[in-house]
Amino acid sequence: MAKDRSQRDDYTTPLRRLLLGVLCLCLLAIFLVWRIDSPRVERFRAQVTDMVVPNMSWAMAPVTGTINLIRDFQSYQRLAEQNRDLRDELRQMQAWKEAALQLEQENARLLDLSNVRLDPRLTYVTGVVMADSGSPFRQSVLLNVGARDGIIDGWAAMDGIGLVGRISGTGDTTSRVILLTDAASSVPATIQPSGQGALVAGDNSAAPILDFLENTDLVRPGDRVVSSGDGGVFPAGLLIGQVAADPSGRLRVRLAADYERLEFLRVLRHHGTETISDPGDIVTPLEIRNTAQSGDTPDE
Amino acid sequence: MNNISLSHTWAMRLWFLALCAVIIFFHLIPLETTPRRWAPPDLLIAFTLAWVLRRPDYVPALSIAAVLLMADLLFQRPPGLLALLVVLGCEFLKNRSGSLGETNFVVEWFNVCVVIAAITVLDRLILTMTLVDRAPLSLHLIQMVLTMAIYPLVALVTQSILGVRKLSPGNSDGLGTR
Repeated sequence: MAKDRSQRDDYTTPLRRLLLGVLCLCLLAIFLVWRIDSPRVERFRAQVTDMVVPNMSWAMAPVTGTINLIRDFQSYQRLAEQNRDLRDELRQMQAWKEAALQLEQENARLLDLSNVRLDPRLTYVTGVVMADSGSPFRQSVLLNVGARDGIIDGWAAMDGIGLVGRISGTGDTTSRVILLTDAASSVPATIQPSGQGALVAGDNSAAPILDFLENTDLVRPGDRVVSSGDGGVFPAGLLIGQVAADPSGRLRVRLAADYERLEFLRVLRHHGTETISDPGDIVTPLEIRNTAQSGDTPDE
Repeated sequence: MNNISLSHTWAMRLWFLALCAVIIFFHLIPLETTPRRWAPPDLLIAFTLAWVLRRPDYVPALSIAAVLLMADLLFQRPPGLLALLVVLGCEFLKNRSGSLGETNFVVEWFNVCVVIAAITVLDRLILTMTLVDRAPLSLHLIQMVLTMAIYPLVALVTQSILGVRKLSPGNSDGLGTR
């Protein structure tokens, strides 16, 4: 029997070699096409993910839940020390709460004084994290909202507190969020008290690097980092995190969003910041001149 | 007899695809959203090599290519490159094991280590040549070493739990009955 098989193998070897060669060429061609025309293949990748991953979600949710349950259970063992730590933290928090209340009142007063209106076009879609990137080399998550819900590439994704990443690749029902920690991510930012511009560039570590700082001396650890809106990448003023210095003295950003548990993400609808193209219209508005000439009563 | 063994072969081929689907599934579960300092072993490659060395007829090159291409697409890797390298590595191992015949496990492990190292090095080399962004070298090295280290365990699981054993000329009747 075994001899029989080996004879058959001998007979089919040239054909098998040929097929194997064709297979290898196909794989090589896929890689080269991806290298040459990346956006098209990435769209294809998004479609494949869109087809495959939602089919797994029925099993993914319970398994993820179970594993998280086990992890939570393990944390019960450290209950006593956690309790002590929490009490300490609470004491500090009460002082902060007092400060926050005062600041809130002051802020409300100031907003009222200056008649500020928050941008009404900044609405959001909330999505659930379905899957992560599956590889330790890439930092991204997959959301269960996609082109069907009006998601467009480049929009910002936040958790309740801070910026998490940007949409890159949308399928019909899923979309991928490249996290700020990914090596391919860089976001223009402003450092708050000093107003310095910088770039928050991910490097596959938990705290992204602050790059292209204008003047390092004006920045201290603890300063707030918010998105600057430069280049129309994100709306301005989204909280990213705090400046921190690592042991080698390099400035990094401690992210405000809770990356340990990304479950629900808000995708901000952003329709681009308006650009001023014609300076003459600002000096003397066109409509007022027209209405004054024709004699109509203006609405405003 | 022939009919039974044929259907058994097809069943085992489907088994392999199912195993790979389960591994990919556990990779995709959203548990680790923070960047890690280490990389887990690549079980997909380890299992593929173990199966290829045990029973090449259960894992045709087409199914290896399909599984790894799918993994490339889902894990945000450059599509096709790792699949190509693994298919070539498996063919190399198939030829080697055919010429060596009955060997002990240490030799097999050594061969597998060589193939895994070659896959990692070639992967990085080609990515460098085509000017693609690469992950840090340390992560790749950790993953390579861990994959080598976990291979004996994977081989044990393949042999004892999944029942994929080498076909020795002595007991060829074990083909149909497992």
